Amino acid sequence: MAASVRHLLKPWTPSLCFARWSRYNPYYLDPDPSKDAPDSELSPEQKELQELKTVRPIKAALSSDTSSTFNDPLISKFINMMMQDGNKILARGIMTQTLETIKRKQVEIYHRSPAAKRLEIECNPYTIFQKALENCKPIIGLASVQKGGKSYQVPVPLTDNRRRFLAMKWLITECRDNKHRRTHMYEKLSQELLAAFANEGNVVKRKHDLHKMAEANRAYAHYRWW
Amino acid sequence: MAASGCRGVRSILWKNRSCGKNVCVPRSKMVPQLPVRQIYVSSSLWKKNLAAAGPQKFTQEFIDKQVEEFEVGKRHLANMMEEDPETFTQEDIDRSIAYLFPSGLFEKRARPFMKHPEEIFPKQTAIQWDAKGRPFHFLFYTGKQSYYSLLHDVYEKILAIERHQDKMRNKGLFTSDTKQILLTGSRWLLKEEIEENLVENISDQDYMRLIQLMEKLLSMPYCSLEKEFILKFRKQLEVQSSKYEIPALQYDPQGVAFSVADGRRKTAKASITLRDSGSGNITINGRNYLHYFPVLQNRVQLMFPLLFVGMMGRFDIEGSVEGSGHSAQAGALRLAISRALLSFVSEGEVEKMRQAGLLTADPRIRERKKP
Repeated sequence: MAASVRHLLKPWTPSLCFARWSRYNPYYLDPDPSKDAPDSELSPEQKELQELKTVRPIKAALSSDTSSTFNDPLISKFINMMMQDGNKILARGIMTQTLETIKRKQVEIYHRSPAAKRLEIECNPYTIFQKALENCKPIIGLASVQKGGKSYQVPVPLTDNRRRFLAMKWLITECRDNKHRRTHMYEKLSQELLAAFANEGNVVKRKHDLHKMAEANRAYAHYRWW
Repeated sequence: MAASGCRGVRSILWKNRSCGKNVCVPRSKMVPQLPVRQIYVSSSLWKKNLAAAGPQKFTQEFIDKQVEEFEVGKRHLANMMEEDPETFTQEDIDRSIAYLFPSGLFEKRARPFMKHPEEIFPKQTAIQWDAKGRPFHFLFYTGKQSYYSLLHDVYEKILAIERHQDKMRNKGLFTSDTKQILLTGSRWLLKEEIEENLVENISDQDYMRLIQLMEKLLSMPYCSLEKEFILKFRKQLEVQSSKYEIPALQYDPQGVAFSVADGRRKTAKASITLRDSGSGNITINGRNYLHYFPVLQNRVQLMFPLLFVGMMGRFDIEGSVEGSGHSAQAGALRLAISRALLSFVSEGEVEKMRQAGLLTADPRIRERKKP
C-alpha cells in the first residue's frame, strides 16, 4: 500500500509532456492558507472535501499567500498580471502606491465635502478596487467561429475566471498605452480605478463596446455549438 | 552453423574427389542423379521457442520445498547474527543480508535479497481439472472463473439482503436509517489489486462492473450485514498528517525549550533554532531580519507559520540560510520554522498547518533551457 502511494508523493514529470504542467502529482490538493475554518454548517460536499483533505497530500503554500488579513487573492492576481520579467518587487510597489494614492484622493474629497455627503464617500481602497473590477467585467464575450469560409464573431458566455482576467487585462493595457508620457503607472491606475468605480472611463467604455458588439451579432448566436 | 555447413561441404568434396578418381565412366552407364544439394539450416531452428511456453510454471511441491528451505535458512541466518531465531522478522533478514553482502549496485533490484517464496514466485492457480479432464469449478468455461464466481457471490448477498428487507417489512420493523458503513478514508481496491487476489486477468469493463455491483450492494438499507465482505474490497487510506516527523524538543542549560529544524527550497538550504524565550527577535546569518530581507513579502513569509499558529511574540528565531535567491531563501526558512513549530503545537494544529500548505516541501525547480 505504501508503495502504491509513495510514487504519488514524489516530484512528478508526466509521461506525456504537456505544454503546461506542474511538478506536483495531480493527486495533490490545493492548500488553503486562511487561518480559521468557517464555523457555519458545512454542506455535505464541503464535509466530503474536508474528509478528502485528511487523506490526500497537500501542495505547498505559495510565496505570495499568507494567513494574515492583509492578504487579498484578487490583489495578488492583479500584481502578478502587472508584473513584467518577474519583477514582483516593482509590481507590488506600484500596487501599494496605487492603493495609497486612491486613499489619499478619497480622503481629500471626504474632507472637502459637506457632512451630509460624507457617508457616501468610500475611503477603503480595497473595496474601491473590488467594485471597480466588478464594473469592468464583461458579461458576454465574442468568439471567432469559422463557418463556410467566413469567420463570424459569435456572442459567447464567459466563465468567471475569464471575466476577471479580461477586466484586469483591459485595466493594465489601458494604463500602459493611453497615458501621457510623464505620468507614473500608479497615478494612471488610480485614475482609472476611481473612474471605473464611478462607471466611467475608458475601460468601462470598452466593456460597453463589447456588449454592443455582442448584441449586434446576436443573429450568429446559434453558430455556437458548445 | 559450422557443423551443419560441414556436411554439405564434405559431400561436395567427396563428389569432386570421386569425379577426380573415376575419370572415364561411360556416359550411358552413368545413372542420371538428381543434384544433391544440402540445405543449409542454422541450429536456431532446433532451439525451443521459449516465448511460446509462457511464464515458468512451478509445481506446488517445488514451492513447498522452497518455503521449507527459506525457513531453515532464516534460522541459520539468525544464528549467524547471534539473534533469537523465533523472533527474526523480515526486516531483520533484510538488515542481515545487507550487512553480510554489502552491495554498491545502483539498481536496488539487483542487490542480494532473501524473501519469502510467496513474494518471489508469482501466484499460480492449481490445476483446474481432474484426471479425466473434467473441470472442478462450474464456471471454468467462462475463462475467468474466480471473477464470475465473485460476481455471483456479490449478487447472492444482494438477494439475501432483499429477502431480509422483505422479512422486516412483513414484521413491520423496516427502517431505512440503519447503520451505514463508513467509507471515508478508504478507497476501492484497484484493478491490479483485484487481479492479484483473484490470480486472474480481468479487463477494465469487468472491473467497472464489479465496482458497480459493490456500489449497488452499498446502496441498500441493510448493507451493514455484509460489512466485512465489503471492507475486504476497500483499502484504508492513511491519514497524511501522521507522516510528519516532529523534531525533538530540547532544553537549554537555563531551562529554555528550543527545537532545531531544516528546510529547503529550490537549492536554498536553511536551518532554524526556535527558542521559547518570549521576545520575537529574528536573526538570520547573524543579521537582523529587517536588514537581511528588505522586501516585505519575504518577511511576511517568515512570520506566516507563527501568525497561523498564533504564537507571534513567543519565540526567538536564529537561522542560517545559503544558496539560491531571496525568495527561495525565505521559502526555505518558512518550511524550517513550520517544522520546528511542530514540537510546540498540538495534533489538531499540525493537521491545520498541513492543510494550509506550510509543511509540504515545494518541489518546483528551475526548468531547463530548451533551444
